[in-house]
Amino acid sequence: MKTLSTIALAVIAAGMPGPAAAQSRSQAPAQPALVLPLKNNSVRFLVIGDGGTGDKSQYEVGAQMIRYHQRFPFTFAILLGDNIYGSERPQDFTKKFERPYKALLDAGVEFHAALGNHDDPNQKFYKPFNLGGQRYRTFKKGNARFFVLDSNYLDPEQIAWLEKELAASGSDWKIAYFHHPLYTTARRGPEVELRTVLEPILLKHGVDVVFQGHEHIYERLSPQKGIQYFTAGGSAKLRSGDTKTGELIKASFDTDRSFMLVEIAGDEMFFQAVSRTGATVDQGTIRREMGDSAAKVSAPPKRPGRRPAAPAPKKP
Amino acid sequence: MSYLSRSGLAVLVAVAALGCGKEPYEERTDPTAAPFAEFGKRVDAYVTLRDSLAQKMGPLDETKSQSEIAARATTLGTLIISARDSAKQGDLFTPEFSSIVTTLIKTEYSRRTDSVVEQREDAQEELPNFVPAVNMIYPTTYPLATFPPTLLPLLPQLPPDKLEYRIVTRYLILRDVEANLIIDVMPNAVP
Repeated sequence: MKTLSTIALAVIAAGMPGPAAAQSRSQAPAQPALVLPLKNNSVRFLVIGDGGTGDKSQYEVGAQMIRYHQRFPFTFAILLGDNIYGSERPQDFTKKFERPYKALLDAGVEFHAALGNHDDPNQKFYKPFNLGGQRYRTFKKGNARFFVLDSNYLDPEQIAWLEKELAASGSDWKIAYFHHPLYTTARRGPEVELRTVLEPILLKHGVDVVFQGHEHIYERLSPQKGIQYFTAGGSAKLRSGDTKTGELIKASFDTDRSFMLVEIAGDEMFFQAVSRTGATVDQGTIRREMGDSAAKVSAPPKRPGRRPAAPAPKKP
Repeated sequence: MSYLSRSGLAVLVAVAALGCGKEPYEERTDPTAAPFAEFGKRVDAYVTLRDSLAQKMGPLDETKSQSEIAARATTLGTLIISARDSAKQGDLFTPEFSSIVTTLIKTEYSRRTDSVVEQREDAQEELPNFVPAVNMIYPTTYPLATFPPTLLPLLPQLPPDKLEYRIVTRYLILRDVEANLIIDVMPNAVP
């Protein structure tokens, strides 16, 4: 449990939960329908999961990312693993990464990759992935500290490193991302063994948000023990109809590919999930509140098909 | 942590190794110590060899060129295979070591909850399915199976980012990370 300056995460605005609801909103808008507030000096980033197929879907999703980048100039992207599927010849890096995201790379967007189970660990040497020759690392953007983990091989060295870095990370937003989901409703289920080892560390050090991939869907889960989890592994592959309803899930989208846009301003994190066709399939705000240990995660009750209870952020 | 420490498992391994009919107090020395120490020596010898070969190519810095990364991995793998052309199964995983590790893995797996077992079965489609062999390049067409994080702390520590354990079907394998090369295999290690 979080102690002392406990941070309460409150999802104060949420999109419509459930795949059926999301499907109804997946028609392509004429213009990118940005709902993020574009606040001054905010931290803005893109979330891509399981994107490295090199197929048509990856390119179509990439095209939407580029369209949204024009309205929402994020400065970096996080990759949740399975960055390069199949063979990893030099031409594969061109086809499955450099070409679909070329406009973003040309615009100076940094990519910060985590390794997935389909990734050769030697990707840590590939400079555009910014792993710096390491399987796991941390980096800071504004008031957010990111922890990039290798969930394929969570050895004692990595655990010790994570403990040390989290303990030293201060009061920044603590955001962890890695490939395998600790919580998910997808058919293959969560990585329970990984959760056994990792979750106590994340809780002990007050991690606020976790982004995870592996499952080829989008999910926003009910906060688990104070941590907000997103599954965003549908940026090229898709497991149609793979999410389940229930208390664990707050919103999902599994009828098409998707990606996420995130903006952090002060103690607020705004998020928007976008489909391959450019439709917004989930949106909301997470607020950190400094309080006592009795502070709990709160979220609006599930209202399938309803709009967010709180007003969406203003459009720019 | 909710899982057993290595010393705790060592006691279980000791009991198993000594047989059910013997009292544990008859053997108070850690039965894993000598085989694990021998394994450590063999790992050190391998790392000395592979480092000397890697040094011939110079350091691999972070580079934008995937060609350089791929070429280096291929070259290093070729050099290691050539230098260990007589390598065979069991060169690092000695029979004594294998026996202990197999018991250790079996014990750890038996402690898994139903949800863990179910989840791992659900993930079978993501697991590699080939017969590994010494001096074999790990086929890039297969994913690397996620190594059970509760098991890793129980096994002897390996030089980080040089060697790693992986599971391929029922084999425990030892893999050179940078060269993507299988160094040794332990059949029937995994239940």
